Amino acid sequence: MKPRAVTGLGITCALGTGGESFLRAELAGKPPRLSERERGAITSFDASKVPNAPIVEVPGFDPAKYLGDKGLRVLDRLTKLLLVGARLALHDAGLKKDNQWAAGTAERVGVCVSNAYGSLEAITELDRVAKLEDARYINPSKFPNTVSNSASGYVSIWEELRALNVTVSDGNCGGLDAVACADIFLETGRADSILVGGGEAMSEALYLAFRKLGEGGALGDTRIGEGAVFLALETIETAAARSAKVLAHVTGYGTAFVAPPDETTLIYASRAAMERAAKLALVDAGVTAEDVDLVVSGVSGLPSFDDEELAAIAAVLPGKPVVAPKLVLGETLGAGGSMAMAVAVELLNGAPASPLVRGEAPAQVRTVLVTSVGYYGNASAVVLTT
Amino acid sequence: MRVFITGVGVVSSIGLGKGDFFRSLAEGRSGISQVEAFDVRNLGREYAGEVKAFRPRDHLSAAELRRMGRCSQMALAAARMAVADAGLAPGALRGERTAIVLGTTMGEADVLEDLDGAWIKKGESAVRRAMIPKYGSTLLPIHVARALGAEGQVLTLPAACAAGNYAIGFAADLLRAGKADVVVTGAAEMLQELQYSGFVRLAAMAPSKCQPFDLNRQGLILGEGAGILVLESEAHAVRRNASLLAEIGGHGMTCDAYHITRPHPDAVGSLSAMRQAIERSGLTPGQIDFVNAHGTGTRHNDAAESKVMREVFGGRRVPISSMKSMLGHTMGAASALEAIGCVMTLETGIYPPTIGYETPDPECDVDVVANEARKGPHDIVLNNSLAFGGYNSVTCLAKPYKIPEPSPIGSARTKAA
Repeated sequence: MKPRAVTGLGITCALGTGGESFLRAELAGKPPRLSERERGAITSFDASKVPNAPIVEVPGFDPAKYLGDKGLRVLDRLTKLLLVGARLALHDAGLKKDNQWAAGTAERVGVCVSNAYGSLEAITELDRVAKLEDARYINPSKFPNTVSNSASGYVSIWEELRALNVTVSDGNCGGLDAVACADIFLETGRADSILVGGGEAMSEALYLAFRKLGEGGALGDTRIGEGAVFLALETIETAAARSAKVLAHVTGYGTAFVAPPDETTLIYASRAAMERAAKLALVDAGVTAEDVDLVVSGVSGLPSFDDEELAAIAAVLPGKPVVAPKLVLGETLGAGGSMAMAVAVELLNGAPASPLVRGEAPAQVRTVLVTSVGYYGNASAVVLTT
Repeated sequence: MRVFITGVGVVSSIGLGKGDFFRSLAEGRSGISQVEAFDVRNLGREYAGEVKAFRPRDHLSAAELRRMGRCSQMALAAARMAVADAGLAPGALRGERTAIVLGTTMGEADVLEDLDGAWIKKGESAVRRAMIPKYGSTLLPIHVARALGAEGQVLTLPAACAAGNYAIGFAADLLRAGKADVVVTGAAEMLQELQYSGFVRLAAMAPSKCQPFDLNRQGLILGEGAGILVLESEAHAVRRNASLLAEIGGHGMTCDAYHITRPHPDAVGSLSAMRQAIERSGLTPGQIDFVNAHGTGTRHNDAAESKVMREVFGGRRVPISSMKSMLGHTMGAASALEAIGCVMTLETGIYPPTIGYETPDPECDVDVVANEARKGPHDIVLNNSLAFGGYNSVTCLAKPYKIPEPSPIGSARTKAA
């Protein structure tokens, strides 16, 4: 792909909520893994019966602080997370100032957001009414939230982004795939600037699904996380024309799918897919494995998946150091790739390489490969440079 | 680089496979019937465009059936038909130069219904663990890629009722940008109780008939189905001597940023999306022969859409029709099934009718193809769609080589890989 400029960042995650300088400071300051006690009580649902649940929430998430009090009542948690991330990113990129357009225009700024299970909260809430009472009593004002793209639709409404609005769903690879989609939308002239990112919200249904899947220790040390993050992605020309600060460049993308070897397997970590996606991303970026200083992986504590991902990275980029932001931020699924992108941007801007799971921290970080192994045989990778 | 449709596959309430689908469209057959999939006695409405003739085992292996919910089953059945229609040999989708890009609104809604039902009524221990990974709209292209032997990009675009157009438009962009040679695209949606109840509660659902553009229209009728298309770059299609069913022209895409469910009353975004589709095809409005309307049969939609037609085409009354009068609103699948209907129009010159049209509405002052199919010029058509989220999306479809060749976009560096 042509190099694209990252001109701003907004994030709400396990480390807190803020823009680019906030995230860089947090990555430099915090211990790599908060204990359940330090993390504080779960607030997204009544978790009193599940003490020490392996959950990483956004601590003290307070959307009203960023969005005001009006209009929040009918929005679900995912929508509020995305709205906060989008507002912060637009301001961090200098596209908006004091909630007014400063550089962009509504018609030329778009949204491309990855999400995996966003409508789960609303569907489950309405299912509860339908199953326990009567389907005639479901709240129609909550019904739009059952549609997967509603959260990103609200981002356009709240921030007045009319160029385009696209939701991408590809599990925990979606955050990286969204970048590839945004690249095509910039290339086809559908927008000058695109907020590209991802979001996932904690809910009781999501937690219970993962607890059930993890019975017998199948999920290892993985903790389910939540949050939202947006990067402002622009053509080099747009960024230069408005003299925007450029935090990093996105220069390559690759993806692959490999089917499981037998008919009954569904969940499948494919080393071959990860290797192919990583190689394609390097070729797309016009760099070699030697050029890469650091890999930002999707390693999350899930043994079978981590092993395949690390083996693929070792095969394509022998000896390169690997960090695993999910050990701090949790497995944020649809947001995971976008969180990794944000961390990669900070690593290119001097944040320390932590938590390292392979190798030593490099003296200088100029080229980063971000990787993600999907749950069904898919894998994606993105290259970022200074 | 030109992009062609070389194969289509259909699972619909008016026919399985393109032959039956095309015949039904031309005859104006209704697929609306009483719902059998779930108990509607308490819901206040009882009709839908349910696909009752679909028997998954006719199209899928037993193992495939076990892996999937109904939405993916319909998607895969239609995908198999499309690949056969395109004459793609087994193994033709191997390697990284192919992609599976599908749209949907709710995806595997029956899987979640089962999971939620067990949990809510009986408690967590009743939830079947093996069922959990089967939920997620992510799975549609995964299942299709696996069954077809595709090894490149897998992607779901959950763009609600514009999902078909989103997927087809993005697939065409992928091909033009040189990122792929063949893309299997389209969309699928299944009828499901919660979503049916939701539309009733939004007071959007008509009692028994969907009557787009009629003065007395009472809303939409939900439907289900899958429409899958094989798209190829010109080079790839020519190399393997594929038969070209139609060409994909420009694709327009905007967001209203106005209301989460209602279209903008001035339809600015919809207007801009339609103009984009025409301009991006290198055409002028005068060259459009026919418009497949979104035409849901709701008061707001049809009025706004008529306004867009008048603004885009000025005094010229371009024929317009809504297949939703026959299919119902198949949500995510709608603009994919309708794109395939447009292929029929381009092939045969038949404009499918808007059935149930009785009384003209002054607010919808457009040339509706009322009740019976009509024949007319058929070189270039538009496929219009709108969706929750303020989405507007329009695709231009044309007979091969009837529109100017678009200039290539982006670098094709991945080709070297």
